[in-house]
Amino acid sequence: PRDFSPQFISSVSGESALPSNLRLPPNLIGVAPQKRASPSGSDLPVLRRCEADIPAHLAPAQTWLESLGSRDSEPLGVVDLHPDVFSVPLRLDILHAVEVWQRNFKRISHAKVKSRAEVSGGGRKPWNQKGSGRARHGSIRSPLWRGGGVAHGPRGPSSYYYMLPMKVRVQGLKIALTAKLAQDYLHIVDSLEIPTPDPHYLLDLVKHRQWGDSILIVDVGDEFPQNILKATEDMKTVNIIPAIGLNVHSMLKHESLVLTLEAVKFLEKKLLWHDVRYVPLYPFKLPYSDLP
Amino acid sequence: MSVFGGVFRQSSARLFSTGTCARTRMHAVPKLRELDRWTEKRGVFGVYDNIGILGDFKAHPKDLIRGPVWLRGFSGNELQRLIRKKRMVGGRMLTEDKHSLDKRISFLYRRFNRYGKHR
Repeated sequence: PRDFSPQFISSVSGESALPSNLRLPPNLIGVAPQKRASPSGSDLPVLRRCEADIPAHLAPAQTWLESLGSRDSEPLGVVDLHPDVFSVPLRLDILHAVEVWQRNFKRISHAKVKSRAEVSGGGRKPWNQKGSGRARHGSIRSPLWRGGGVAHGPRGPSSYYYMLPMKVRVQGLKIALTAKLAQDYLHIVDSLEIPTPDPHYLLDLVKHRQWGDSILIVDVGDEFPQNILKATEDMKTVNIIPAIGLNVHSMLKHESLVLTLEAVKFLEKKLLWHDVRYVPLYPFKLPYSDLP
Repeated sequence: MSVFGGVFRQSSARLFSTGTCARTRMHAVPKLRELDRWTEKRGVFGVYDNIGILGDFKAHPKDLIRGPVWLRGFSGNELQRLIRKKRMVGGRMLTEDKHSLDKRISFLYRRFNRYGKHR
């Protein structure tokens, strides 16, 4: 039988056989990582239950608890995650609003141009009103003139500051966490202890477990283990931040999110409080008797 | 059409293009600026933006803004910005700048409050 395999022709000798528009780039994002087994049907014990009460009609979301200790370690167990933080309806419009807010509220534009009053000179009438035959003008720095001021240009440092309501920002965080969990980009780790301060160890681990190109590591507290600090110091795409610094833009920028168990507990406590709190009578930064 | 001519020899497609479609010339398309998306600034952009809700409300995100004193955590139109600048920083401005500021404030006041439809 005739051989029906496609025969490839190259117009230029020396290049690879496929034409350039059919060659796949080696770092193609579309190649899906192998899906992990879902933790619901496994024998490993549930190592962490949610502290807050879960509503009766919802079930906790579950993920694997992993360890950074060695490259090939198996998951240690299963972790319960509160559904009101990790399984909220995915409102992409809220996510977009929070991301745009993060980009713009800090922005101060320093663009400024001189108006006709600020450009030097131009106080005297250049020629008489009548008689010279030229068009009538009052100053040489009016916006019509070359070298004159700008009529409606950007004026002075201006700010683009605005605040979204607190609950919208909180909901944005919850939606981002839900999205990371739903797309398999969330990893829970028991602690950030690694055996060597070598950055290659982390890179190797990330590549082996197919975590993605960029990792955001989140832990509670001021101190981190020295090894992981040294390892991530010079790495651009692997960043470590305290839990207070978590935000939607960083979560969207980094492909994978790695949380420790204490970070999960901290985030759940902080984000669930906004569902049950009263309307503030005065700003929260002033002392309340029941707030810590 | 003629795209598949080079791959599957057994089909009866042409090996050359007769040139009837896609006559866009791409000779002067400027190159994209090569940006490093993972510099120090871009990698940690936005960290601590939720310092209020995650950090016990001891700080506010507007404390993070770096810029002129009269613009931190404030937004307004030009007249409001200039009046705020005069109140906060006017005492230590240079004379010529102060003079331009005063002139601009009086011009904007007259323009907003005396002329046009919205006064």
